[in-house]
Amino acid sequence: MAHQVTSKDIPINGEHLEEGKIATLKMICGGVGGIGLLASIIYLVTGSGEAHGSYAFSWLFAVFFVTTIVLGGCFWTFLHNLSNSGWGTSVRRLMENLGFVFPFMVVLFIPFLFPGVQQYLYEWMTAYRDVVGDSANAKEALLHDSDPHNHLLAVKTFYLNPGFWYARIAFYFIGLGFFIFLVRKFSIAQDTDDKPGTKNLFAARKHSSWSMIIFGVTLTFLALDFVMALDYSWFSTMFGVYVFAGSALNSMAVLILTGIFLQRMGYLKNVVTQEHYHIMGKLCFAFTVFWAYVSFSQFFLIWYANITEETRYFLLRNTENWNLLSLALVFMHFGLPFLALLRSDVKKSSKFMTIFCFYILFMHVLDVYHMIIPERGPSVGLIIDHHPQLWISGSWLGDILALVIAVCAFLFVYLRNLTSAALYPHRDPRILESANLHN
Amino acid sequence: MSTKVRRVYGYLAEFENASQLYKAAEKVRDAGFKKWDCYTPYPVHGLDDAMGVKRSILPYFVFFGGLTGFITAIALAYTTQVGLYPTVVQGKPANIFTTAAFFPVMFELTILFSGFTVLFGLLALIGLPRWNHPIFASKQFKRVTDDKFFIAIEARDAKFSAENTKSLLAEIGGDNIELVEDDSE
Repeated sequence: MAHQVTSKDIPINGEHLEEGKIATLKMICGGVGGIGLLASIIYLVTGSGEAHGSYAFSWLFAVFFVTTIVLGGCFWTFLHNLSNSGWGTSVRRLMENLGFVFPFMVVLFIPFLFPGVQQYLYEWMTAYRDVVGDSANAKEALLHDSDPHNHLLAVKTFYLNPGFWYARIAFYFIGLGFFIFLVRKFSIAQDTDDKPGTKNLFAARKHSSWSMIIFGVTLTFLALDFVMALDYSWFSTMFGVYVFAGSALNSMAVLILTGIFLQRMGYLKNVVTQEHYHIMGKLCFAFTVFWAYVSFSQFFLIWYANITEETRYFLLRNTENWNLLSLALVFMHFGLPFLALLRSDVKKSSKFMTIFCFYILFMHVLDVYHMIIPERGPSVGLIIDHHPQLWISGSWLGDILALVIAVCAFLFVYLRNLTSAALYPHRDPRILESANLHN
Repeated sequence: MSTKVRRVYGYLAEFENASQLYKAAEKVRDAGFKKWDCYTPYPVHGLDDAMGVKRSILPYFVFFGGLTGFITAIALAYTTQVGLYPTVVQGKPANIFTTAAFFPVMFELTILFSGFTVLFGLLALIGLPRWNHPIFASKQFKRVTDDKFFIAIEARDAKFSAENTKSLLAEIGGDNIELVEDDSE
């Protein structure tokens, strides 16, 4: 057993990530992310044609992938505070930094606010705008429209109407953005507090309670509004939980990777040990199983009930080659990680966990791809007046490009957050408990 | 006067508190004893490290127990529902694609068999159930449920010797060292 960590091992002013050490990475990420983001926004707002429609889906895929990871950071922060945990105090700042990327994410969502982009993604918006127009009663207008498909939309207008949609987006970013800012602020205020008692810690715990509710609402309805609404006729009450499972799992993977890389650069040496990686590995294992449990529940009930408007989601995702992706997710997103993470010694090995975390993040890319991209062929085909198809050739280039841009933009903000405060809350009353963790 | 021959169980030594016990346990471990144990009124964190307890082999049993359950479930569901007596519900196929319907069975039986292996494997490894334990012959041992900490080194340990073990226990701070005899027969 290593020696007991005492307050002598904790630097008085905390450990700070030196700007110089990550300057190159941050510059590359900032450059690619910034220029790519600007170019993407301009293209998405002004462009037209099939490639434009295709890129709108690519952009949604990339942005949603990053958003799930950031939302997971919010979740772990609130959970850690709310459950009064001591084990993770030394990695809590990483969670806060990851979660605090969320308010900045609003920039990535700008293209979705324009009808030119919405027309490809959300057919209900197009139908609503075409039929309702200026008429006062949207429901009546849709109900008596000549297109019988719009009857289904008519009964959903209480939720699916553009005004409420914009209000919801504002609520997500202002609400959760504010609370993750607040909770992180308490934590950082403690670093420089003259009397580092429990005041800030308890305040963070108290406010994490509301925040957790806001988080749950935000994640669920953000998933509903941006992904489930791609096909407004489809609904699944499991969908929010499904997205949450992947989000919690993959943000934990990002936290493990951050911890490992920071330690390799010589930080967090005194406070983060194998035991922390063991616990975080166990959480990864738990959420691997939870993801499988939830995604299977969703599939199973729809498959058994066999109701037309519910099965469409899975029919599309099991047509031709999409079936391979669906099957791959079963074995590679659940089967393999489940067996790999069973042993405790692999969870403590930083080499193995590095590989595993990159692997599971790649699986999450496929998972989000599986949620969003199958809708692209039929949707874009329908809008741009030709026969709807399953796959638009060459569209994967746009997917990769959008993913690179979104991940770079995310990394830039994440690195900025990491350097903006101490790497761990060195004046937290539980920092020594966490540093001497044994499980 | 009793003429019964009694078997020596081992030496029992009392310790004042958890930290004394912890340090003593490390010394007993380093002396190379294998068949010995610590007794405490409450769980002491890290004591298994101090005692040099190896990881249990139970997880391997459980893995294969779970695997057995998993295979049992596939075999049971598949042979009955696809092979012997296909039940067509909701127009679902009766072939390998019906597997989704068997997942709950697979899940349940995997868990059930794992659970059984944990319970019975654990009982087998720790030697339970048993009627009595020789160490209960000691009067002072009753305080282990109250405020005292004990180390018992068994006579069947290869390193055990009547004098040396006793002096070792005294050396590492044990009080009221007692030779416990098995009076269960």
